[in-house]
Amino acid sequence: MAQAKEEMKILTANRLRNGETVYYTAAGEWSPYVSQAKVAATPEDIDALTKIGAAAYAANLVVDVNVIDITPGGDVKPSHIREIIRASGPTVRSDLNKPAAPSQRS
Amino acid sequence: MAVVDSNGLIADGWARLADDAPVPKGGSVVVSFARLKNEHNSLFSAATKVGVDIPSDVNLGELEPFLPRLGVIVVRFATMRDGRVFSVGRLLRERYGYAADMRAVGPFIPDQAQFLLRCGFTSFEVDDSYPVESFKRSARAYSVWYQRATDRAASVAELRQGALDGSKS
Amino acid sequence: MYIYDKFDHTITRERVAEFSQQVARRLTGELSEDQFRPLRLMNGLYLQLHAYMLRVAIPYGTLSSKQLHMLADIAKKYDRDYAHFTTRQNLQYNWIKLDQVPDLLADLASVEMHANQTSGNCIRNVTADQFAGVAGDEVEDPRIISEIIRQWSTFHPEFLYLPRKFKIAVTGAPKDRAAIQFHDIGLQIVRNDAGEVGYAVYVGGGMGRTPIVGPLIRGFVPKAQILSYLEAILRVYNRYGRRDNIYKARIKILVRETGQAEFTRQVEEEWPLIRDTGVDIPAGEEARIRAFFAPPAYETIAEPVVAFVEAKKKYPAFDRWVSTNVHPHKVKGYGAVTISLKPIGGIPGDASSTQMHAIADLADTYSLSEVRVTHVQNLVLPNVKQADLFAVWQRLGEIGFADANIGLVTDIIACPGLDYCALANARSIPVSQRISERFADLDRQHTVGPLQIKISGCINACGHHHAGHIGILGVDKAGVEFYQITLGGAGDEKASVGTLLGPGFPGDQITDAVERVVNTYLELRSSPTETFIEAYRRVGAAPFKESLYGRR
Ligand code: SF4
Repeated sequence: MAQAKEEMKILTANRLRNGETVYYTAAGEWSPYVSQAKVAATPEDIDALTKIGAAAYAANLVVDVNVIDITPGGDVKPSHIREIIRASGPTVRSDLNKPAAPSQRS
Repeated sequence: MAVVDSNGLIADGWARLADDAPVPKGGSVVVSFARLKNEHNSLFSAATKVGVDIPSDVNLGELEPFLPRLGVIVVRFATMRDGRVFSVGRLLRERYGYAADMRAVGPFIPDQAQFLLRCGFTSFEVDDSYPVESFKRSARAYSVWYQRATDRAASVAELRQGALDGSKS
Repeated sequence: MYIYDKFDHTITRERVAEFSQQVARRLTGELSEDQFRPLRLMNGLYLQLHAYMLRVAIPYGTLSSKQLHMLADIAKKYDRDYAHFTTRQNLQYNWIKLDQVPDLLADLASVEMHANQTSGNCIRNVTADQFAGVAGDEVEDPRIISEIIRQWSTFHPEFLYLPRKFKIAVTGAPKDRAAIQFHDIGLQIVRNDAGEVGYAVYVGGGMGRTPIVGPLIRGFVPKAQILSYLEAILRVYNRYGRRDNIYKARIKILVRETGQAEFTRQVEEEWPLIRDTGVDIPAGEEARIRAFFAPPAYETIAEPVVAFVEAKKKYPAFDRWVSTNVHPHKVKGYGAVTISLKPIGGIPGDASSTQMHAIADLADTYSLSEVRVTHVQNLVLPNVKQADLFAVWQRLGEIGFADANIGLVTDIIACPGLDYCALANARSIPVSQRISERFADLDRQHTVGPLQIKISGCINACGHHHAGHIGILGVDKAGVEFYQITLGGAGDEKASVGTLLGPGFPGDQITDAVERVVNTYLELRSSPTETFIEAYRRVGAAPFKESLYGRR
């Protein structure tokens, strides 16, 4: 249970070219799916994410870069409602919502 | 540091004089407004040409007595969004009749070039890495304007009425 | 309607070229995000939660059917097949890709449209009464001066980097349908004692964090000199407005901190010095623009129109729709139809491309090809023959926009809120949907009568909550959405700012709270004709507070 008290964070941004909401993955890429986000749980790892975000911003790949909290345990789920909505889409247009993970077929 | 106008790089004979540096005999120097106010007598007698560097929130009334003798006024952008620079330019030209070089300095971007030119600026101090080609292009972004400004270019409304009058005669 | 000439086309085309290369320079990194942001905002382009959002200007809310068709096409081609009409009579696309914006702007330009100055710290798209030209009570059509202001303010070299955004609204009638006293400058077209037409000028109104009803600073500016007067106001503001604190940068704060009398003195001192510098347009130009807004060729129709009267008798639902959604027209035999973009449970102001095409078709068939956008997020067909109203109503029913609720409790303004907006604290749309569903019963809505609910997802107040009879403001309370209620706001000629009732309610209690407020009104109103706002002004906040929070 000690781990639940720890901070857990992921790195998110929007792609400069098309504005798409994206998450930084363990593979070192930017994915539209929150489930693929690389999770940082130690101060060192969080610091590393922050630096990666700053570098990607400086390289004009992404904008609006933020390291955000996630809720510990199970699937990667942002803590704050703003980020929950950002991850899936407007709550009033479920037809346009994005799944947390890519569908198997694509 | 480089100086450009709407056609690109220009030669610049102005030297900046720190507030504690002695005034050279002859030469063209740009000083702070504070120094101009304190030492205008010795400045105008010693240097060949005198210019002043002013912030955008300058009190133009205080500057007015010196205007006829200034060879350049350098107006400083506090940030790129410092819109006061544009009003100061227009007022110096249109209200106070200032006619010599007027120069913008600070973090303005090339995309502001044509607006600055329209407000009476004639030269621009930029870093050596400044995208001068973009600046030159931006200086020509528009061929006509909806409103009058310092450059006295006819507004679209005036062009239209000119065209209408012409077609009637 | 105004039609572009070669000069307008040239400027619009040069604007597309300019922004295209700005986008290209951003993508290569020549422009940093900090440098690009003011440029993209000046072109209406925001970065929101899910994507870029593009705000397209609909100057003074007037659209041709051709333009509306194009807006629908763009929604399909570049977005997800829908768009959102805003409280500033503009239109927003929610899913825009930066690298497609140049093409989109070129498509807009092909129908004489643009996104110029729909955001940023510059003079924004000017707004006006949606019934301009068709309302019987107007002194003059406000679209004439609005178009003149549009042109004057477009790429004004001195005023593109103001301390903060700047909004101008115009009403042509004493009945203010443009909320002019909530704008940085509000102009009311008036006649002086000599019978000449000019403008009463209000300055320093606004919503946001510090809602202020703008004071009158000059009762009459002659028509031919209004641009120099505006330029004098803008120059004083540009030079002296605060730039050190974003929350104190609007002109309303300058007016308040300087004092209304001193601010007015500064403007009046500047004005004569500007007046003779060619700012004001030549008289011929005013006449040229005026000609575009000449009344269209209306038919001579005798009233009553028998078929119309019969239809109302035969179909009570139609009769009711006419009573709420059809505004009297100055020409006999016509009416101005307000199309409700507020279906029960729907998203206020949203329309799909199919719906937009259908409305454009209706405008072509029945309304001399013209459409208006209202600041209440509805659309207007301004010129419908009474004999055609029944057909219009039926067609609107087929596309889901025939609700007879204009001005009623379900005609709710809601900003995009936390479903889309990067600045939001809380969602607005679901709150409006729940309230709308709660009051779905049309009999009940008509019993309640005129009542404006306005919802903002943060203190920026895009949903005009300060001016709502019932205003709702979303706040973030430790990561949870809460909603505060204000009462007694109004955005008309009796403009007032709503009063906060007390602590906010969580999302699952706000609908009940609103219903209690409405029920309290029904209990205390002096007669069925005393409206909510009249009753509130008579009794004050106390009984409503008690109904929400109990006796204290
Ligand atoms: S009021 Fe706030 S949440 Fe709503 S659209 Fe405006 S900025 Fe966004």
